Amino acid sequence: MTYDKAIIAAFVDGELDDLTARRIEREAATDAALADEIARHRALTDRLQRHYGPVADETIPDDLLKLLARSEAEAPAPAADTSLAARREAKRTRFAPMHWGAIAASLVLGLALGTQPWGAPADVATEGGALVASGALAAALDTQLASNQGADAPVRIGLSFRDRAGRTCRSFEGAALAGIGCRSDDGWTLERTMPGNRQADYRQAGSGDLAAAAAAMMAGDPFDEAAERKARAEGWR
Amino acid sequence: MRFEDQLIDILPRLRRFARGLAGSAADADDLCQAAIERALKSQGQWQQGTRLDSWMYRITRNLWIDERRASGRRGVHAPIDEAAVQVAGDTADSVEAGTLRGDIDGAMARLPDEQREVVILVLVEGYAYREAAEILDVPIGTVTSRLARGRDTLMHLLGEAA
Repeated sequence: MTYDKAIIAAFVDGELDDLTARRIEREAATDAALADEIARHRALTDRLQRHYGPVADETIPDDLLKLLARSEAEAPAPAADTSLAARREAKRTRFAPMHWGAIAASLVLGLALGTQPWGAPADVATEGGALVASGALAAALDTQLASNQGADAPVRIGLSFRDRAGRTCRSFEGAALAGIGCRSDDGWTLERTMPGNRQADYRQAGSGDLAAAAAAMMAGDPFDEAAERKARAEGWR
Repeated sequence: MRFEDQLIDILPRLRRFARGLAGSAADADDLCQAAIERALKSQGQWQQGTRLDSWMYRITRNLWIDERRASGRRGVHAPIDEAAVQVAGDTADSVEAGTLRGDIDGAMARLPDEQREVVILVLVEGYAYREAAEILDVPIGTVTSRLARGRDTLMHLLGEAA
């Protein structure tokens, strides 16, 4: 075995660049000691996630929810007959910071992704600072099955799998954007993004990188046709 | 979305993080409660467009460390799992491998706080090393070395050593 523990840990944690990760995967196929070490690390992660995972599914105690509900009730309710100036002020304080943040974010996003930020409706939005799928991309991730998609589908679904945090993730490839989305309460958070297959130069590298990124994030095997169908029926949870 | 609603969305994961840090459900929810109160008070310090979950984890973690330090000064031992108490006093190295087989709470309670928090952030919450380093305000190298030590101890105690 030629890799030290830190590299194996980084591999299991999805921290290695794709090239190194693929090399380790290939070597693990023939190096039993390496494969064992990887399995040992994965087993610990799996045990911890199985142990703590259910906590996030527990009913949230009322005491905690009350804290967050009460602060709303305590907020001053707008009076019915405020002056125009007061209304304008209220509007500004309520919307200004968020709006500018969102506009700045979508501008940056549009530039970064090379998509058309003004085209309707966008495939990507931001939610609490994270990139999330929207529009046709969100619809494809929600409904499209890899085993049953039209050849002309604008977004092609690749692999569906469970990541180390227990989320269902799906890789996708569209004309402008490819990547991996993972399902959370807010929708599909985009964990990886790369240029889509319209950029012909990237096509080969793109799909390989995507598969490697998926392999690095994956806990267990990718879903087969039945598992994918079942996951869709359960809302990808 | 309202700040409070965003916090509600994060709560399930925050409770999980707190459970990992504190060990018991009651302590974890007390910790969450303190963290929410702190967050509501210092809402203005959170920058739109940055990750609220990371910000909340940092608040929660800092409160927990403060609490541990304060109870240490008072000579109070934070409650830990019974199985861990039975072997307390020994270092992980002198405890037979697999002693805490299946008792993850007990094994986690035996980790030093700074290793436990890294283990939870990376292995349970799925944060990247870089993100965990930002939450904990330490260099990435510190994250990886603490994670390695924490992992070794857990594998040893839980009997996953080869």
